[in-house]
Amino acid sequence: MDYQKQSIILIALSILIGSIFNSLSDDGIPWVAEPIKIVNNSEDALDFLAEPSIREVEIETAKALHGSGILFVDARAEEYLSDGFIPGAIASDDISMLADQIETKIGFDTGFVIYCSDDDCGSSEELAYHFQDIGFNNILVFRGGWKSWKDAGLEIEYHE
Amino acid sequence: MNRINPTLILLIRFLLGLVFIYASYDKILDPGKFARDIANYHIVPFGLENSIAIFLPWIELLIGFGIILGIFLDGSVFLSGGLLVLFILMIFQAMMRGFNIECGCGLKEGEMVGWSKILENIVFLGASYIIFYSKNRVLEIYPKTPLSE
Repeated sequence: MDYQKQSIILIALSILIGSIFNSLSDDGIPWVAEPIKIVNNSEDALDFLAEPSIREVEIETAKALHGSGILFVDARAEEYLSDGFIPGAIASDDISMLADQIETKIGFDTGFVIYCSDDDCGSSEELAYHFQDIGFNNILVFRGGWKSWKDAGLEIEYHE
Repeated sequence: MNRINPTLILLIRFLLGLVFIYASYDKILDPGKFARDIANYHIVPFGLENSIAIFLPWIELLIGFGIILGIFLDGSVFLSGGLLVLFILMIFQAMMRGFNIECGCGLKEGEMVGWSKILENIVFLGASYIIFYSKNRVLEIYPKTPLSE
């Protein structure tokens, strides 16, 4: 086999192994680099810095996030917690105490998930905006909340 | 190149192969950093630095082993020469354009582009040349060294 054929085989092998390794690696990168988006003026730049980064997630994502160990915050009033809650979730009727707890556990920049009783409860969203005003930067609101978690038959924790 | 002692060729192969294997290691583990190093050369368009960063270190690793073990030795050493020419041109154009950037060569952390890097690559290129045109080879696993030539 001449050197040209060998070179082609080596290149093909490298592309193959590199692609497989990249797709399996935690440090994998996309095939094409995305340029950082440009902000054209200082007003937009400041808006961007203050931009709320609240996003909604649904049951499948919430389940996966829970599995990955992200903090869950229960926005329901404490009296409802006797029915059970998402394992590991923290809750309190005293919002500032809840905020302190989150800050102690994960600080302001690590994301967390807030949920309430169901699709329309609204308190998770309200709490998310409140926490954002306080300075928490990355908040996910779990749409469907407690009801969809329970309906999906996922693990539940009860107070002792 | 027939007069060069086969043991010396083997030694050169070992050293050159080692350089490529060593150079590939950090790039394989952190392709994101390597992609940024490539982007700093301002020569690769359309964000393709990522694609290069995904497979180029593996070429280096494969040819490193190929050169040492004598697997596809001709192809490995041909590619090593090609890569070294490419690296020399990349570094040279960056210097001519006045970029004071990290080499991204993978041999020494934080090393900047400069004449010493070009010289280093020329030495490696010379080694590739010697191996490519050497006839008295020993230790070739695949294809096997011909018994009579």
